[in-house]
Amino acid sequence: MDDHQVYLAKLAAFSRMLRLEGFQVSHQETADACRILIDLGFADRQTVKQALSAIYAKSREEQLIFDRVFDGFFVSEDVMRAMAKEQAQKDAQREAIRASSQEQLQVNGQPMMLSEEQRNTYASMPEEERQRLLDFLDKYKNNAERNPDLYGNFIHSVFTKSLLEQQMRMEDAATNVAAADPEIGLLFRDISEFRDEEIPKAISIIQTLAQQINAELASRHKSAGRSGVLDFRKTIRKGLETGGTFYRLKYKKKPRRRRHMVILCDVSGSMIQFSEFALRFIQSLNQASESSKVFLFSESTVEADAFNLENMDVFREYVSRSGIYGKGTNLANALEHLSDQRPPILTDSTTLIILSDTKTVETRRAYEALQKAKHLCGKVIWLNPIPENRWNYLRSAQVMASGCTMISCNTLGALASACRRLATSD
Amino acid sequence: MDLQTLKLKMDQAHYIYDETLATVLYVALKLGRPLLIEGAAGVGKTEIAKVMAAALDRDLVRLQCYEGLDESKALYEWNYQKQLLSIQINKDDSDKAELTDSLFRDEYLLERPLLKSIKSEKPVVLLIDEIDKADEEFEAFLLELLSDMQVSIPEIGTVKANTIPFVVLTSNRARPLSEALRRRCAYLYIEYPDMEKELAILRAKLPHVDDKLCAQVALAVQQLRSNEAILKKPSIAETLDWAAALDALGVKELTPDALRQTAGFILKNSEDIAAMAQKPTEECSCGHNCGGHHHG
Repeated sequence: MDDHQVYLAKLAAFSRMLRLEGFQVSHQETADACRILIDLGFADRQTVKQALSAIYAKSREEQLIFDRVFDGFFVSEDVMRAMAKEQAQKDAQREAIRASSQEQLQVNGQPMMLSEEQRNTYASMPEEERQRLLDFLDKYKNNAERNPDLYGNFIHSVFTKSLLEQQMRMEDAATNVAAADPEIGLLFRDISEFRDEEIPKAISIIQTLAQQINAELASRHKSAGRSGVLDFRKTIRKGLETGGTFYRLKYKKKPRRRRHMVILCDVSGSMIQFSEFALRFIQSLNQASESSKVFLFSESTVEADAFNLENMDVFREYVSRSGIYGKGTNLANALEHLSDQRPPILTDSTTLIILSDTKTVETRRAYEALQKAKHLCGKVIWLNPIPENRWNYLRSAQVMASGCTMISCNTLGALASACRRLATSD
Repeated sequence: MDLQTLKLKMDQAHYIYDETLATVLYVALKLGRPLLIEGAAGVGKTEIAKVMAAALDRDLVRLQCYEGLDESKALYEWNYQKQLLSIQINKDDSDKAELTDSLFRDEYLLERPLLKSIKSEKPVVLLIDEIDKADEEFEAFLLELLSDMQVSIPEIGTVKANTIPFVVLTSNRARPLSEALRRRCAYLYIEYPDMEKELAILRAKLPHVDDKLCAQVALAVQQLRSNEAILKKPSIAETLDWAAALDALGVKELTPDALRQTAGFILKNSEDIAAMAQKPTEECSCGHNCGGHHHG
């Protein structure tokens, strides 16, 4: 095999790896990469990386993934040996923990019912987390002997939940593009984890995303806006430029129909940051009509005016002055308050948007009030800051999700997708 | 042209670059691929096309994109007034078919930037600036030009490029570009320059300005950009304007007064100016251990 074929064979494998990471790599790009490597050579690793990045990665996000894949693929022999050794040690250690877990994880002398995947997760989790679970098991061992059914199930559910959380953390770490770029990181991090100093940055990201969504919608509106009716006045005027010949016909545009939105916003302690971000997003969308109304609720409900939503400090001050901050959450009261408004604000043409984590008192009454509100208005969309994979552990989320369209949006990226969906839905 | 020659040419054009930029430009040039440059406003995306034109000794043809841009403004348009005059003058000719054919000759064709760039006898640098401002239809229309270096004109047929232009597309990411367009381009993302690069730019572009002032300006700009409360980050052009303004005012050191008087050159809205006034600069380049107090 001559040098060129060696390059091509290696690059073909590299292209396959990139495809596995979701890149759309064509043969042309692999051929381009080969051509440029023949020209530049392999002498300088950094130059090779930069050149291949320009060819393969087509966005900032892809560049970050590319860097990771490149660093994993093009490694020196020594580094590769060291990595293989380290990996072998880790595998052996994990296997030993897996084997010992059969003996350690027992309830009433019976091995705990865990799937293979759960046992693997248990073996991969950090030492202190594993010890925490063992301590928990030890603590409830006697109770389980006294009441095997009750405590056996309890121990099993705690283990399952902990292992699932650990698995999610490991998956998040594996796809951690975020850490490499602070801006992209903020986009994919849980909103509740934002630090105070990151909030201005987050607001600036919201503005940028809202601009992007508005630009997309404007362009979609423009292309779909033609109603098919000829605009005689404009056509004749345009025709004057070409000596009276109607060279370009002008058409009338459909009048823009903005949706009437009613936003019901949970401002209990844990929700205020998410609510503030979500409201900012929705307000920035051109699609939100001027007749939209915003209601804030905890135990009671108050209507907010647009001025009080413009600035974060004003918003927080307004919420604390209204006397609803720091109280419990009663969604049923809030929904009934909306349904009972006279003149009615929930009508056929209304979209009701609920910003809440579903944690409310009187879940059943809240569900019934939700059904009533849904009956009154055209559509109910629920933006939930809790990730969808955790709804299984929250009964109220399961109940409410069964009664309306619930979208999980725990990150700014997810919130942007939800708002895009909100703005484009009819 | 090899990588070293390209670097030499950019040096001659007094352009400050890093290794990534030089390599990506070389890759795009070598492969004949369009180069898509993304980054925040004011990081120097457009400048790259200008520098490449100077470095390659080519003409720069610029197409500024905006909402509603179409083929007639970007590619070609028939000169109707001239065609109508021709019809009037030749209305008594007996050969009507000949008259009709004559109306679609090159002399009636108004070449717009895209057509001009591919019909040029000498290769040019084609800058398609702020492509994210154009509509999606226009983006789709560009695909034929970018992949095959040809365009289709219904009355004439397919026009193939006489010479291959070096195409630079810039985007501020106001909206996401289509995958099809991205796949046809080499990609470069530019960030704001670091302290060292910014200082080098100031020295190269404003050699007459005092070195100490340049260092103070570069440091102050870096700190303004890292201040999260400032929403519109200062661009490189604004840094240069600011340094030039300070120099024109005879300022030798960046004092709070000088900063207040010239803040309008670097920050362009009142909220940002207020935010700058609120946060004292923690480190100061004045050379004294002042805690930044005199920089406001």
